[in-house]
Parts: sequence; structure tokens; C-alpha cells
Amino acid sequence: MELSDYKPAPVVKLDSLSDVNDIGKPWRYEDGDYTVTRTCPWSPPGCHPVGCGLKLYVNEDGRLEHVEGDENHPVTQGRLCPRCITLKDYVYSPARILTPMKRDRSERGNADAWEECSWDEAFAIIKENYERIVAEYGPETIIGMSGTGREGGTMSLYPTMVFGTPNYCYMQSGYACYTPRLAAAAYITGSTYSEWDYAGALPDRWDDERYTLTEVLVMWGKAPLESNPDGFFGHAVVDAMRRGTRLIQIDPRVNWLSARADIFIQLRAGTDTALAMAMLDIIIKEDLYDHEFVEYWCYGFEQLAERVATMPAEKAAEICQVPVEKIYAAARMYAKAKPAAIMWGLAVDQKTDGMQNSQCIIALQAITGNFDRPGGQLVPGADAGHNELGFGYKECIPDELFQKMIGMDQYPAYCNMILNSQCDLMLEALETEKPYPIRMGFYMASNPLSNTSMEPKRWHDALCKSLEFCIGIDLFMNASIQATCDIFLPIATTAEREGTVFTHYAPCTVTAGFMHKAVDCGGLPSDMELAYRLGKYLHPERFSKWANEHELVEAFRLGVENGGKTFDEVSKCVVAQVPIEYYKYEKGLLRQDGQVGFATPTGRVELWSTAYNQFGEDPLPYYIEPEFSPVSKPELVDEYPLILTTGARVTAFFHSENRQIPYTRELNPDPLLEINPKTAQEKGIADGQWVRVWNMFGEALMKAKVTDAVDEKTVHGQHGWWFPEQDGSEPNLYGTFRSQINNLCPNGHMGKLGFGAPNKCLICNVEPVSESYDTDMNLIWEKFGKLV
Amino acid sequence: MATYGLLIDYEYCTNCGSCQVSCKEEHGYPVGKTGIAVHADGPWYIDDDNINFNYFPLPTDLCDLCKDRTERGREPICVHHCLANILYYGTVEELSKKLEEKPKQMLIVPQYMPRVAKGEFVHQENATDLHKAAAMDVKGTGASTFGAHRADAKVGEYEEDAV
Repeated sequence: MELSDYKPAPVVKLDSLSDVNDIGKPWRYEDGDYTVTRTCPWSPPGCHPVGCGLKLYVNEDGRLEHVEGDENHPVTQGRLCPRCITLKDYVYSPARILTPMKRDRSERGNADAWEECSWDEAFAIIKENYERIVAEYGPETIIGMSGTGREGGTMSLYPTMVFGTPNYCYMQSGYACYTPRLAAAAYITGSTYSEWDYAGALPDRWDDERYTLTEVLVMWGKAPLESNPDGFFGHAVVDAMRRGTRLIQIDPRVNWLSARADIFIQLRAGTDTALAMAMLDIIIKEDLYDHEFVEYWCYGFEQLAERVATMPAEKAAEICQVPVEKIYAAARMYAKAKPAAIMWGLAVDQKTDGMQNSQCIIALQAITGNFDRPGGQLVPGADAGHNELGFGYKECIPDELFQKMIGMDQYPAYCNMILNSQCDLMLEALETEKPYPIRMGFYMASNPLSNTSMEPKRWHDALCKSLEFCIGIDLFMNASIQATCDIFLPIATTAEREGTVFTHYAPCTVTAGFMHKAVDCGGLPSDMELAYRLGKYLHPERFSKWANEHELVEAFRLGVENGGKTFDEVSKCVVAQVPIEYYKYEKGLLRQDGQVGFATPTGRVELWSTAYNQFGEDPLPYYIEPEFSPVSKPELVDEYPLILTTGARVTAFFHSENRQIPYTRELNPDPLLEINPKTAQEKGIADGQWVRVWNMFGEALMKAKVTDAVDEKTVHGQHGWWFPEQDGSEPNLYGTFRSQINNLCPNGHMGKLGFGAPNKCLICNVEPVSESYDTDMNLIWEKFGKLV
Repeated sequence: MATYGLLIDYEYCTNCGSCQVSCKEEHGYPVGKTGIAVHADGPWYIDDDNINFNYFPLPTDLCDLCKDRTERGREPICVHHCLANILYYGTVEELSKKLEEKPKQMLIVPQYMPRVAKGEFVHQENATDLHKAAAMDVKGTGASTFGAHRADAKVGEYEEDAV
């Protein structure tokens, strides 16, 4: 993206928007008694980088009074979800922490032992402990614990430049979220995740002359309406449906889209790779593939054909437990449509053979010729990557230190791809102190004990035992910080900060948005600003080239160093569309060398993967039965007769966030376990009754929602639950372990490359309990409803 | 004066909650009260291939169609924020035309606080006001016509002493 491309995106007005509106308003303007600031938020509150258009109405006293969707945004067009609609309640929540706090290590877990302190004192305590631990054990004994969604979780700047550790660690087993898909795409196509082309980058959107409406959209293990996955505005799917796009839905769970899909394949959880291989086999055998694309742009087609022939539809139907004719119908419908796209979701990552599932989906997209076709899959070009992953490694992590990254020996395909220590091995290192102890930690937008981590009690015990010093960085107290930290550093909300937001974490970016600061709550820093302030305090030499935080933001996000002036200038556009090109592989736009083709060793889409082969993985896709299933563990069927799938999103919450916001909590007050009416009857469970769900890894108490959303053999449990209204001290820790579905999800069951975790395909049993743990919404209102 | 309402294209309501939450923010309604709420029907199977699964955003008796906003020419806040863009504000006349364009829509004219809208009770003079009760002698029947629905009740008997 050139600097000249940062110009206000053309507006496409929604037909429901009144003629009295704010189209064409500048980045800041007056409206009656209010100063209105237009901004594109990217956390906190947590969300993927969609960067929806937002108008923040601030009164004369500098207080945010009203939040409204900005109709100037080309994709969201004024629409907004409950999490930003309640932004005011988040900013002024009585539970928010605005001052740094300290606590003696011996008092960890005691919610009453925190003492407020100055920023200077907090920094001095950090410096003292940091220098002591680095001197005594080495910088590699520091872990940066990251979560998803918020900008802070993506900032390699924290571990590298601020603390100088190679152990930046996303806290989910097998990094089973987005990155396996990115990695598979990068290894097979030379570009990362290919997003559905929803015309987000085109000036006239759906009606743009360059665009062709997607005929068929396949939703594969994805619920984008609720999750806005990885920066994709979920309701773009509805926009397309209303224009005529037809759906195929592949999911063990009925969602709203399933009911509107032409074909809904309600497969047994975790068997997606078998289904994908069968669809490839049908498309190849019935000669429905794009011959030209396969001949000129793919590598290894014959071998792929041979491999997928081992998974005929009849065999897949048996494995997936779906009618075989649905598999044929879906393969034909997808292959015959043009343009067609597959949106591949989190479920693809959350299984042991997730890398093979991705491999098959990429092959489907490729052999049907939908790569970089308007309305098909948009492929990230050679210029993708505004969220610089490698920032700080070269200068701050010498090679010898880099090689000490936990997991580098065993899982180079994981560690080198995402520059993260392998999560499951990190847990072992914390528990065993091998290959070396982990002594210091800090949170990068993560709440592992309530959300990110599997078997959170294991993580709890390991972190409490191993870490001599730990820093919490957040806006609210949570179970993880309460249990493990000695210092709390408060940060700003999106309304109090500047910054950028590139959709889809930068590959396939369609809009580039800017955050503008509208209010101040005590000069709190954003994650980026905190990294600058703390980094400069610990390592002045590394940060001396930037005079202030503002210059760092410019360098980090725009890749220019112009004293902050460039940022000031371009940010006034608020939101710009990113110029895109179609058929980039024919134009030399996918490779750094400018040659035509894909950025792979063979220059083609590698259906037979040279990269997988190099990493010791099978170069062709294969299916593995989920490790914990009624099929693989028949001896456990009596004990654990049900399939457990977890983690479907709701609009009320971003993972473990928003539970202390009354209006969002009201949408979903209690942790729900979905169970089929017939299964519920057999188990003696009534709708709304509390149940115990358990397996060999742990248990949770949840509230039954009796529904046909799941079939008789499957239950689905919500994730991310904790109860900010409850006692925060040990052992209760806001009830984080009571209704924690991650108690039932193991660590250490990833695929060969270190990626993947079986969170969506496990086994369990359920029984009713007589107690009720219903949330008292009046208590939530009393506790959190009065803003400060 | 024209009547205003909401056209709801419920074919595409996804239950995102934006209407309800915006409404509460706009009006400051506490937990438990709202001007619009989403109701669900489904999912349930019609047959092996067809699933009924619909959501219905329905205004409550606290919906004033965002009077403060619409007076300034703006659309109600639920219409502004609806993620699926399925809410339309307008006159019944305009919206009726839209109603004919496709199935699975409904047109609703809400009323804010209907009990209050009816106003205080005031007696209206009418013809029965002129009727005065007559002064006449009355004799008893000597028996109770109706008894309580109880196993021990003796229909037709009454305790003379109690009279």
C-alpha cells in the first residue's frame, strides 16, 4: 500500500440509512454539544482487526456519552455489534483499573493484597526483577503469554525489544487458532490465508464493475456472523446472501446459516479431512476441475488424485456419518459454481489432522480455479503484512538466543513460521524446568486460566510454581492475573488511543483503518505505547531512534519513519480501501522476485507439498480419526458416550471478555451446554437445568440448553467463562474453574508439525445436578451497572 | 398525520443483539427492560433436509421509535446498528410497498407505554346514566342455587342460622 492510497474510502449508503446522516464528515467534527471523533477500533475491548466504523460522541467535559456506527465505513456502513455499542460501559466500568498496582509474591491469589502504586514505582519493580532474572537465569527464561484478538497479543515488540526473550508464546495448545491455516497456506501456496472476496476493497462494493458475485460460498467449520473471524466482517455473508449467494454449510452444529444453506452437512465432529478428501475425489473423478489452472499453476495433481482416491465418498460418508448423496451434491455444487469460495474456520485447526484438512481445502480452492478470481478466494500478495511479525527479532534476539526458543528442535515448522515457542512444550518446560526453567512472565492480552489454555489448572499450577515474577497488563482484573501476578499495569481502551487496524491481520487486507483518541482516562497507554515506555526504561538504546510512542506506531504499522508526521497525515482518512489486484499469479504480484507464479519452490500451488515433505510430514493429505472419539476409543463409549465440541462464538462476548458489561452479559447470562432433546430426556435433563459435564481430563458445571442445534450423539459447550461478580481470591478465582469447558480439553495432542488441538472433537458424559447456579442479573446490574 | 413503523425482514435476522443493546444504550434502560427484543423459533427439523430457524426482533411497549432521533430526521438506533440491515423505518405507506417485495417480512407499528397512551380514565356521559334503581320489595327463594366445587359441598342447602 502506497501512502497515496490512504484516502477516505468511497461510501456506499445502506438503504435503511436516513437521508439525514453523517456521510462525508471529517475525522473530527462538532455535532450540537458534542465533539465527534471517527475511528476504527482495534482493541481493547478485544476483537479481531475488523476495524468497524465508529463515531465517538464526547461532551464538553471530555466524557464519552454516545457511541454510534460510522456510516462512512465502506464495509460496516454504520452497523455495529453489541461489544462496541457498549463501549461507553466498558470505558467507564466500575470494575476497570486505572492505576498501576503491586502485590508481594507471597500474596499471589489474594484479591485484597493489591496496593496502588505510581508508574515510576511499578517500572522500578519490573526493572529490578527483570535484571535479576536475566542475570541469574538468562533472558530465555521469560515468557510473553499472548492471547488472541487484541493488538497486544500480536505485538512481537513486547517479547523481543522490551524483554529480549525468544519465548513469545500463544497460550493455546497446538496454536489451534488461525495460524495452522496460515501456515498450511504459506507452505502450500507461498501466500498466507486466502479470504473470501466480499468486494471489501472495491469502491462500489458489490456493484463494482470488477466484481462478480460469489455463486456458492462454503462455510467450513466456521460461524462468521458471531465471531467476525480474524478481521472478517461476518455479516458480509448476509449481505451476499441477500444478493443471491447460495451456501453449503459443513458443521456438526446447526447454526443460523445451516438453516439457510442449500446443503448442510452435519458431520461427526473432527472428521472434516475425510469429507474434504472425498470431495476432491469426486471433483477429480467427475472431471469437474479447472483443467487450465491445474495444468499451468498446480504441482502434484496426479499424486493428489491418487491419494484422494483412497477416500471415496462412500467411505467418507461412513466416517463422517452423513448421507453419501450429500457429499456428492456438495462437491458438484461447489465445483460447478463460479466464482465459488470456501470460508475455512477455526474447526479446521482444532483437530490433530488440521494441517491436512487445510491442505485439502486449499486443493479444493485451487483445482476449481477459484484462486484470485473476483468473488472467489483473495490471495495475499507479495506486499501483504502490515502487522510486522518479525519486528525486533533481528536487533534484539541474537541467533544463539533465538535457537533456544522452546520447541525449536522438535517443531521448526511451528516455531519458525509464527516466531513463537511451541505452546505444549512450554507447559512441559514450566512443569519440569526442562530444557530450562521459566522464571518470569507477562501477559500480552491473554487470560489463559479462563480462556486461552487447555487444562487451565495445569497451567495455573505450573505458572504459580515456576514464575518468580509476573506482570499483568490489562484493563480489568481477571483470574489469570489474580493468581499469578505481582504487578498490574493498566492500559487504554480503543477510545483512548491511536493506532492502525488492517483487516484480516494484514494478509488479504481490504481496508486500512485508523484509531483516533477521543477521551482520556488518566493518560493510560495502549499496548503499543506501554511497550515503548517500558522498553525505553529497560533498554533505552533499543528505543532511542523514536522520540516518542507516536513515532514508534508510525514505524511499526506504516513502515515509515517521519517523526510521526506521516501517521498524522494519513490517519485523517480514518478508513481507506486497500488497492487489490486479481489473478496476481499471472502478474508477478505474489513473489518477492516479481516473477509470475506462486512463491513456492515449484512456483505453483503444491498439491504435493515440498514444504510438508521437508518437515518430515506426508506431502499429501491423509485422514486421522480423532484421538478421542467413539470410533477410536470404543472401550470408553460406556463411560463417555457423547461427543464434545466446544467454543462456538456468540456476539455478546469476545472470548472471556465483556462478562462484566451488563448489557452484553444479559444476552447470555450463563455458560450453556447445548444438548439434543432426546439425549436430554434420556439423561433426565430439563431445559435450563444445570449439568455436570466431564471426561478423563476434567469437568465443568454448565446450564443445559436443550436444542436441536446438536444431534443426539453430540453436546456443545461454551468457552471462556468466568464470573467477575464473584470472589476473586484463591481458590475461587472468579469461579474460573467451575464452568470451564477447557478443563475437559487436553494439551499435547497436536499434529506432526506441532499444530492443532482436539478442542472441537472430544468425548464426555453429562448428568443433571440438583443445584442451580443461575446468574442473578440484578446483582450484575448493581455491581457493574453504575458507571464511574 | 402519517403512521410510522418498522419493517422487519426476519428472513435475515441473525440474533446479533445489536438492536436490543443499542436501544438500551440509547434510552438508558436497565437490565431486564428493553424497547426491542429478539425472539427465537428453532432450530427444529421440518424434514431431513429442511430446518426451521427464525429470529424475530419485536418492539416492546418501551419502543418510542427513537422519538428524539427521528425528530432530527435520523433513523431509530436499532435500524442504524442492525448488523444484517433488516430493519427499516418509515411510514406505513412506504413500508407497505416494501412488504410486497419479498416474503418473510413483517410490518409493525409499536406503541410506547400503551396504558399511558390511553390516558387517565374519565367517565363519558351516556344513556345509562339516566337509569335510577327502582324501590321494590323482594322475597328469598329459600334455597341456594349454586354450591362450591368441593366434595363436601351440599348443593342447594344453606345454613339458615348463618343468615
